[in-house]
Amino acid sequence: MRIALAGNPNSGKTTLFNALTGSIEHVGNWPGVTVARKEGFVKKQLSIHQNIRIVDLPGTYSMSPFTNEERITKDYVQQEHPDVIINIIDASNLSRSLFFTTQLLSLGVPVVIALNKWDLIAKKAIDIDLAHLSKDLACPIVEVSALRQDGLKKLLATCVERKGSTQEPAFIGHADATLNKEAWLEEEKERSIYVANLVKHVEKRSIDSHKLNRHDAIDRIVAHPYLGIPIFVVILYGVFSISQATLGPFLADYLVSWIDLFYAFVANLMGNQVSPFLQALVLDGVIGGVGAIVGFLPLIMVLFFMLALLEDSGYMARVALIMDPYLKKVGLSGRSIIPMVISTGCAIPGIMSTRTIRDDRQRRTTAMLTSFMPCGAKLPVIALFAGVFFQDAAWVGTLMYFMGILIIFFGAIVIRKINGDTSKASYFIMELPEYRLPSLKRAFIAMISQGKQFVIKAVTIILLSNILVQIMQTFSWNLQLVEEGAEASSILASIATPLAFILVPLGFGLWQLAAAAITGFIAKENVVGTLAVVFGITNFIDVEALEVVSGTGEISSIMGITTVAALAYLVFNLFTPPCFAAIGAMNAELDSKKWLFGAIGFQLGMGYTLAYFIYQIGTLITTGQFGSGLVLGFLIVLVYIGSIVYLIKRNEQSQMTLQRG
Amino acid sequence: MVLSKAKKHVTYTIQDIETSDEAMKDFLFSLGCHAGQTITIISNFGSNMVVNINDARYSIDLELAKAIIV
Repeated sequence: MRIALAGNPNSGKTTLFNALTGSIEHVGNWPGVTVARKEGFVKKQLSIHQNIRIVDLPGTYSMSPFTNEERITKDYVQQEHPDVIINIIDASNLSRSLFFTTQLLSLGVPVVIALNKWDLIAKKAIDIDLAHLSKDLACPIVEVSALRQDGLKKLLATCVERKGSTQEPAFIGHADATLNKEAWLEEEKERSIYVANLVKHVEKRSIDSHKLNRHDAIDRIVAHPYLGIPIFVVILYGVFSISQATLGPFLADYLVSWIDLFYAFVANLMGNQVSPFLQALVLDGVIGGVGAIVGFLPLIMVLFFMLALLEDSGYMARVALIMDPYLKKVGLSGRSIIPMVISTGCAIPGIMSTRTIRDDRQRRTTAMLTSFMPCGAKLPVIALFAGVFFQDAAWVGTLMYFMGILIIFFGAIVIRKINGDTSKASYFIMELPEYRLPSLKRAFIAMISQGKQFVIKAVTIILLSNILVQIMQTFSWNLQLVEEGAEASSILASIATPLAFILVPLGFGLWQLAAAAITGFIAKENVVGTLAVVFGITNFIDVEALEVVSGTGEISSIMGITTVAALAYLVFNLFTPPCFAAIGAMNAELDSKKWLFGAIGFQLGMGYTLAYFIYQIGTLITTGQFGSGLVLGFLIVLVYIGSIVYLIKRNEQSQMTLQRG
Repeated sequence: MVLSKAKKHVTYTIQDIETSDEAMKDFLFSLGCHAGQTITIISNFGSNMVVNINDARYSIDLELAKAIIV
C-alpha cells in the first residue's frame, strides 16, 4: 500500500514522516527541482498491515501549476496513483492549511487529515469543531502530535480503512489552470472564500491573531534592525564557543584517544613483520584518516545540533529578517544568511540549505559564495599557521572570518553585475513562526541526519584520498620506499613541483606546500596532515589530532617561508574552491555546468589574487622589495580580473539593449 | 494606499497586489494574501515589516509592502 504525505512547509511533515517510517531512502530528486525524494516503509510496530510505503511530497501551500514544487504533488498523484494521501495540517493555522486541503480533495484519491500540534491549540485557546469540519470536507480527521508520536497508529489504521473509497467534499474545483487561466483564477478566489467561511464556522479563537502577543514583544528587540545585531553576534559567539572551544573539542579528544590506542595496538600487532607499504596504508592511511575525521566530527556535530536548536526555536527566521537590508545591498536577501551560518560548520549542508531560496540567481550566488566562510575543516589550518607563524594570535582567525564575509559581499556584487537583471524586482517574504522552546529530540535528529550526509560524503572521499596521498608520499615512481630526508623523490613531489611554479608569485613555490594545497582540495584538514608528512615533521605535528605538538620555531624554519608568505598561504587555502565533497554539493544546487565552472574559476582566482597581493605588498612593506614572480603573478591576476570586467561589461551591454528594445 | 504607508495594528482589507511578478502573486495568493483578505501590520522596521495574514506572521520587505494595495 502506498501513502503520499502532503502538507504546508512548517506543518511538522518532516517530523511526522520520520516518526512513521523506519529506514528512509533518498531516491534521487524530484524532477525539475533540487528537492530530494524521500520514501520509507512504515515502522512495523505502528500497523498490523505490513509493507506500507510512505512518500514525502515537498511542502507547499498550493497546487497551482506555476512553479516546479507545486507541480510535483499533482504530477505524482496522476502518475503514480498512491492509495491514500495523508494531509498534515497545523492545527494553529487552519485557514492557510485548508486551502491546500481542498485542492488535494479534488484529486480523486482518498484523503486522511492528520491534525498536527493539536496539543498546542488548547494553550492558544483555539477550539475546533472537528465533526463539522470532517463532514464538510468529507474525509476523516485524526488528531496527532508528530513530535510526541501520538495518534500515529490511529492515523495509519484510518488510512488502511479508507483505501479504495471515494469522497465528495463540499467544494470541488474543476478548472484546469493550463487550459483556461481566467476560469481557474476565478475558481481559486471562490476556493479562498469557501475556506474562509468554513474556518469561521469551525474555529473559535479567544485571542485574535492580529492582536499583539508576547512573541511580538520579543521581536520588537530581537528582530530590530539595530538592536537585533548585537544579540545575533552574542548568540553566534555562544554557538561557536560551545561547538569549537568547549563541548566539541572535549568530545573529540575523548574519541581521538580511543583511536590513538587502536593505532598503537595495530602498530604493535604489525611490528616488523608487515611490509612498509601495508603499514603505511593501514596505520597512516586508514587509521590516520579515520582519526582525522573523528577528530573533527564532534565539533561539526555539536555545531549542527546548536544550529538545529536555533532553527527549531524560530530564531533563524528573525536572523533572516535582520540581515535582509544588508544582503539586499549586494543583491541577495535575508534568506542567504542561513546557508552562510551553517557553512561555518561545514559547507556541504550549508550549500544544500540554499534550496529554500526561490530566486535562481540568488540561490546560485549563495551556493557558490557560501564556501568562503571558513568551515570547521579549515580551523586546523588556521590554528597551525597562527601557532607557528603568529604566536597563536587571536586576530588571525578573526581576520579570516572577516575576510570571508567581505569576499562574499564582494562576490555577490560581482555576480549580480555579471548576471543580474536590473528590471526584475525581488521580494523578501519569510514566515515568522512563533517562538518555542526548541526540542532537543528534533535537534538531535537533525544533527544525525546532517551529520550522516556529511560523514558518508566526506568519509569516503577523505579516507580514500588519504590512502592515495599516503601511498604517493611514501613511494617513488619505481615503488621504492622514500627515505626520510629524500621526500622530494616521491610520486607526490613529482606531481606537485610543476604546480609549485605558478605559486612562486604567492611566496610559497615549494612542492611541499603545493602538494599540501592539492590535498586540501580533497579535504581542507589534509593541508595540515600533508604538511606534516612532506616536511617530515610528524613529531611536531600530531597527524591524527591535526595540531601542533611542539617546536613552532623549528617548524617555521623547516618550512622556510616568511611570515608574510605564510599568511598568503593560509589565505590561499581558505579562499580557493572548497573540498571536492562541497564542490559536489555546489554542482547539485547550481544545476548548470556554466555556473559550476564559473564558480570554480571565481574561487580559484580569488584565492590566487588575494594571496598574490598579500605576499607582494607584504613583502614590499617588510623588506622594501617585491617578492619573486612579481610579473608572472601579475599577469595571472590580470587575466582573472580582466575576465570578470569583461563579463560585467557584456551584461551591461545586454541589459541596455533589453531596455532599448 | 500602499501597505508601506499604512498604520500599525489596524486591520486593512487588501484591494490588489501590484506586481509584474506572476509567480510571487500566485505564491501570495496561496498564503491568503490577495484582494478581499485582511492584513495587519504588527511591526514596522523601515526596510522590513512584520505582518499578520491569515493567522500567520510573515516578515516582508519594503518592496513587497509597496506592492500590496490596501
